[in-house]
Amino acid sequence: MDAFRIFIVEDDVFYGEMLRHHLALNPDNEVHLYKTGEECLKNLYRSPAMVSLDYSLPDMSGLDVMRQIKKEHPEIPVIIVSGQEDISTAVTLLREGAYDYFVKDDDVKDRLWNVLKKIRENVQLRSEISYLKEEIGRKYEFRNVIKGNSPSIKQIFGLIEKSIKTNISVSITGETGTGKELVAKAIHYNSKRAKKPFVAINVSAVPRDLIESEMFGHEKGAFTGAVTRKIGKFEQANGGTIFLDEIAEMDLNMQAKLLRVIQERELTRVGGNDLINIDARLIVATNRNLADEVQKGNFREDLYYRLLGLPIELPPLRYRGNDIILLAKYFVDEFCKENKMKKLSITESAQQKLMGYHFPGNVRELRAIIELAAVLTDLDHIDESHISFNSADAAGNLLMEESSLAEYTQKIIRYYLQKYNNNVLLVAKKLEIGKSTIYRMIKENQI
Amino acid sequence: MTKSDKDHYCLDKLICFVGDDPEAIKNMVNLFLSTTPDLLQAINASLRDNIAEDLAKAAHTLKPTLDIFGVENTYELIRNIEQKAKKAELDDAMSEQIKQLNTLMELVFQELKSAYQAV
Repeated sequence: MDAFRIFIVEDDVFYGEMLRHHLALNPDNEVHLYKTGEECLKNLYRSPAMVSLDYSLPDMSGLDVMRQIKKEHPEIPVIIVSGQEDISTAVTLLREGAYDYFVKDDDVKDRLWNVLKKIRENVQLRSEISYLKEEIGRKYEFRNVIKGNSPSIKQIFGLIEKSIKTNISVSITGETGTGKELVAKAIHYNSKRAKKPFVAINVSAVPRDLIESEMFGHEKGAFTGAVTRKIGKFEQANGGTIFLDEIAEMDLNMQAKLLRVIQERELTRVGGNDLINIDARLIVATNRNLADEVQKGNFREDLYYRLLGLPIELPPLRYRGNDIILLAKYFVDEFCKENKMKKLSITESAQQKLMGYHFPGNVRELRAIIELAAVLTDLDHIDESHISFNSADAAGNLLMEESSLAEYTQKIIRYYLQKYNNNVLLVAKKLEIGKSTIYRMIKENQI
Repeated sequence: MTKSDKDHYCLDKLICFVGDDPEAIKNMVNLFLSTTPDLLQAINASLRDNIAEDLAKAAHTLKPTLDIFGVENTYELIRNIEQKAKKAELDDAMSEQIKQLNTLMELVFQELKSAYQAV
């Protein structure tokens, strides 16, 4: 770790020297002592991790020095160590951004160490966050995220490259399991907004009554149960990207509210009056054809055109030819690496079996099949016997269990929810039951 | 480097700050002996020249140093001097308090010089 650079600004030679000596007892600290505010300001280029500032300096007040520091380097914590025992002075300084305020008394030593400890922890956390952000960026470098050589996937690479250069809205369509959220993340983490938040919300997974509060937040007391203010996903994503998954499941009333927010670039929390400016890039995804939904009257046309932006249609895996094998090899390598297993190959017959399957669950399903095969094999390879597309077997196994009808119902709904990414509306439609039945079962912890 | 029970100072707080390192303590004592007389001088000159603002400033600077050296009976004394100077009350009572401070500090200087052979 680099030295922890501390500036002490103190015109009292004795007190300043004593603080310097005291703080330098920790060899990790690099302590610089300045007698005037000007000297301190001149040396700010050294990027101190903390400044301990006397309030009464000969050339300028501690408040002025702090203001100047905060103007140029708002991230540097400034601690005022002063003989002033006046509370109003302390309040003013804290309001102006002082990290802490100490009176030169018996407690200074302990308080100084405590505050140093906190600042050190903050510095370490900031550096860890910055490292992790870079790691995430590398992880979501789009060629690391989306694997494939097929013409259809190469076309997707071209569209992603275009999308990261601007703030244009992006609408991603594709069957379940084709990697819509991964593409959204790849766009965000490769764009200029990469250091700001990526916030995802699955529209179909949030009950209709809560979606507005989830997206736009609410004020305390806005409705029964709103015991504190809640910041919505749009506000959380400020400066970054908001990803609205399963956008086609949004009801018409909410669509109108979303349209207004997108047009005005401002929102009001539920139960609030203040207008909050929003600067979040919008990426939406759905596995339905939005244009069809507009035709059917299920989706607002004006919102459709607002959201369409750059459309990216992810191809189903069955249309991606040899990408199936490329992805299968990638998944088996990753699985072996993660689980510290010896590298496994995939035999020709296993590859042929994979190529002949239609993968209704797309890449997500392929991954699950490969991971299971890697677990099942006792050899140094995966052959066709390890590859199982077990939807028919699963049905057989299910009936063998001899459960009650209610238990079967729960299992079926659970299975569909997993398969369709918790898309309640879609599952309700597939099973031809009311969505409220599913919500009730979720609420009663039956699922 | 011995401290007598009759001494008018106490280095516990200083040791707390700089650690139990004789060399460091000696250096800090020498620094005290070289800088504090100037502050006392500034207090005396401000009183003589009737400049309350300067007097308050010098007293304010001296306050924590006296605290660190545990100079006995000065905790209230130096605060009173600072507060009265802030209110520009440079009266006879103030002269008396400053005289008291000078006397006390002269003793402390002598005691420290003798203990730490800093002359």
